[in-house]
Amino acid sequence: MRLEPTMKQAVIRRSVRKFSERRLIAAAVEMDKTEQFPWDIAEEMAGLQYFGLEIPATYGGAGLDSVSTAIVIEEISKANAAMGLCISVHNGVAASPVYLFGNAEQHRRFLNPLAQGKKIGTFCLTEPNAGSDASALETNAIRDGGDYILNGNKVFVTNGGISGINLIFAKTRADGKDLGFSVFIVESEREGLEKGPIEDLMGMRGNPVCPLSLRDCRIPLENRLGDEGGGLKIALSTLGGGRLGIAAQALGIAQASLDASIKYAKERRQFGKAICDFGAIQDLLAEVGTRIEASRLLTHRACDLREKGKKYTMESAMAKVYASEIAVEATRVGVQIHGGYGYTKAYPIERFYRDAKVCEIYEGTSEIQRVVIARELLKG
Amino acid sequence: MEIVVCIKQVPDVPTVRMDRERMTIIREGVESVINPLDYIALEAALELRQKAGGHVCIITMGPVQSEVALREALAVGADQAILLTDPDFAGADTLATSHVLARAIQKIEPFPDLILCGMQTTDSDTGHVGPQIAEELGLPQVCGVNEIHREGKFLVVKRLSDGFVDTVKVTLPTLLTVTKGLCPVRDLPLGALEAAFSTKDVLEWNMTDLDLKKEEVGFAGSATQVRRLRTPPPRGSGDIIEGPPDVLVGHLLRRLEALSILDEEDEKK
Ligand SMILES: Cc1cc2nc3c(=O)[nH]c(=O)nc-3n(C[C@H](O)[C@H](O)[C@H](O)COP(=O)(O)OP(=O)(O)OC[C@H]3O[C@@H](n4cnc5c(N)ncnc54)[C@H](O)[C@@H]3O)c2cc1C
Ligand SMILES: Cc1cc2nc3c(=O)[nH]c(=O)nc-3n(C[C@H](O)[C@H](O)[C@H](O)COP(=O)(O)OP(=O)(O)OC[C@H]3O[C@@H](n4cnc5c(N)ncnc54)[C@H](O)[C@@H]3O)c2cc1C
Repeated sequence: MRLEPTMKQAVIRRSVRKFSERRLIAAAVEMDKTEQFPWDIAEEMAGLQYFGLEIPATYGGAGLDSVSTAIVIEEISKANAAMGLCISVHNGVAASPVYLFGNAEQHRRFLNPLAQGKKIGTFCLTEPNAGSDASALETNAIRDGGDYILNGNKVFVTNGGISGINLIFAKTRADGKDLGFSVFIVESEREGLEKGPIEDLMGMRGNPVCPLSLRDCRIPLENRLGDEGGGLKIALSTLGGGRLGIAAQALGIAQASLDASIKYAKERRQFGKAICDFGAIQDLLAEVGTRIEASRLLTHRACDLREKGKKYTMESAMAKVYASEIAVEATRVGVQIHGGYGYTKAYPIERFYRDAKVCEIYEGTSEIQRVVIARELLKG
Repeated sequence: MEIVVCIKQVPDVPTVRMDRERMTIIREGVESVINPLDYIALEAALELRQKAGGHVCIITMGPVQSEVALREALAVGADQAILLTDPDFAGADTLATSHVLARAIQKIEPFPDLILCGMQTTDSDTGHVGPQIAEELGLPQVCGVNEIHREGKFLVVKRLSDGFVDTVKVTLPTLLTVTKGLCPVRDLPLGALEAAFSTKDVLEWNMTDLDLKKEEVGFAGSATQVRRLRTPPPRGSGDIIEGPPDVLVGHLLRRLEALSILDEEDEKK
């Protein structure tokens, strides 16, 4: 078993870190303040293939392995969590299912622009009455000749305000018969699809999360991803990978927070010494440092299972719940170490705290991850 | 144009730390990167290739781990990579290093039109290696180049020396050492990195491949030996004296007197 990153992974981390430090750190402050998505930076990132991390080169992707992908998302999130969220969702739950479940024609029409960053993707599962209980979703797709007619409301669509290609989960019905969930690839310009106002979020404010509604939106058969009724399979498989993205993102926020805390604790002096000389501060740093290391190992191990084509449902849920809770803990402790200054916008730590919290919520809340883990544990 | 770029791996730290016992640079626990000026040399080579065609070959002498630097250079866009590695190469000074590099360049076919080196490295910083390779190969050399143009069978290059800009016309084949400002360093697309590590080859040449003898290389082939290592004493922060000018002048004179910097004559004037 190999626990060290490979040469390639180390170079990838350094390369992404260099770009992120130069282009994403300052932008994070602006994005948080103005809620504007920086298209110029996104275009640069597209040129560096950040929008096609695991997608093979034939489609214009980078063809990375899963651990490298997690490393890229961690480094981007460390500099700019809202951009990390954009990349994580676009790659993990939009481009990836189109690659895995799409046919050749769909690859040509949708995967190429996604992988090359020409279109940004979304994953629309959550609805007003269907959050943790995704099976309660009400959006329906009724077959009408060769087309489907979609009606329903989606909420909390990450990348919603900037997307070109949306994956919509809907209940399929034909002749009054319930055929289960299916997934539809819906272009943003398609008639009947409307995006609502951007949510006024606590954190991740640079990501335009919004609701999305479908009113008699006519979708041709060629836009159905996978089998009719195959939506549940796609959702489960996609969320497994998506959780690794969130784990990596949480890891980036936690690491940024630890780095900032260490720097501050060395600089700030009270009672005639640097506050890092106080045992209480050292305890906090040691605890957070240890847990970040553990999160990284959990995450990379789950990535490794995915890479090898093995089952990783439980491992990805473990990585996600652990890393996101550590991110919240690391940022909370980070604010504490920064004292009163940590509670102001003079330091980025307060943003890290706000950004971290949602990692415990989306792509399955911590409670739901524990349900998943326990179910796997009890299977045996 | 056939171009060879010499690259060296250096520790990725603002200041290198030395092992006083072994008188070598501490490389353990420090990530290694391509020497920044060598990165610029590589980008310059790729620019020339784009204009004039040809190939870019990168070489490095170092331990097997230096392969990673070559792979990164392949990701940047080099066509071929050769690692010069042999346990006997260890302990080389700049002369022994240059000798191995020169021998490798002679073995590359066809013989290059242009050899590019960094002007100096961030770890040892001697600036010897480029010039020594040129001498051994009997090639013209220009050091500290920050602009390169091609004019027929010549290169016209600029270098900054003591506040002047020299423009030098040089015949090919030639060796240039390059410095900052020559060309920008680009970010790497992830797919290029992936391909450089998973599908590209790195050639390996050892002492036998290069037809070298033990006494020509490494510690044995070195003309210099490090006798002693010292860290220069840190510069003090200096005193800041504040006050109105007339008071300050008197104060300053007394200080200078106390240090016996002013002699009587000066004072009278
Ligand atoms: C910024 C942001 C971005 C998002 N992006 C997307 C996106 O791109 N696509 C998308 O589809 N969704 C997205 N979501 C939605 C997110 O996935 C849901 O908010 C999440 O799944 C929880 O659903 P809910 O908000 O309806 O909470 P609820 O399901 O109502 O949960 C409320 C509370 O009850 C708990 N709970 C519920 N059921 C159980 C149970 N069985 N056992 C124990 N506790 C339980 C939950 O853990 C939670 O604490 C996003 C959300 C946010 C905030
Ligand atoms: C005090 C001191 C002690 C040292 N002790 C040892 C020792 O005991 N053992 C040891 O192995 N080394 C030792 N070195 C380092 C060794 O002398 C140099 O690393 C090496 O010879 C290159 O010199 P440089 O880095 O100064 O290159 P410079 O001449 O500054 O480099 C200029 C350019 O030459 C090229 N170049 C330089 N080195 C290489 C290379 N290896 N491969 C490809 N291209 C290259 C690059 O293009 C580089 O930009 C020591 C150096 C110093 C200063």
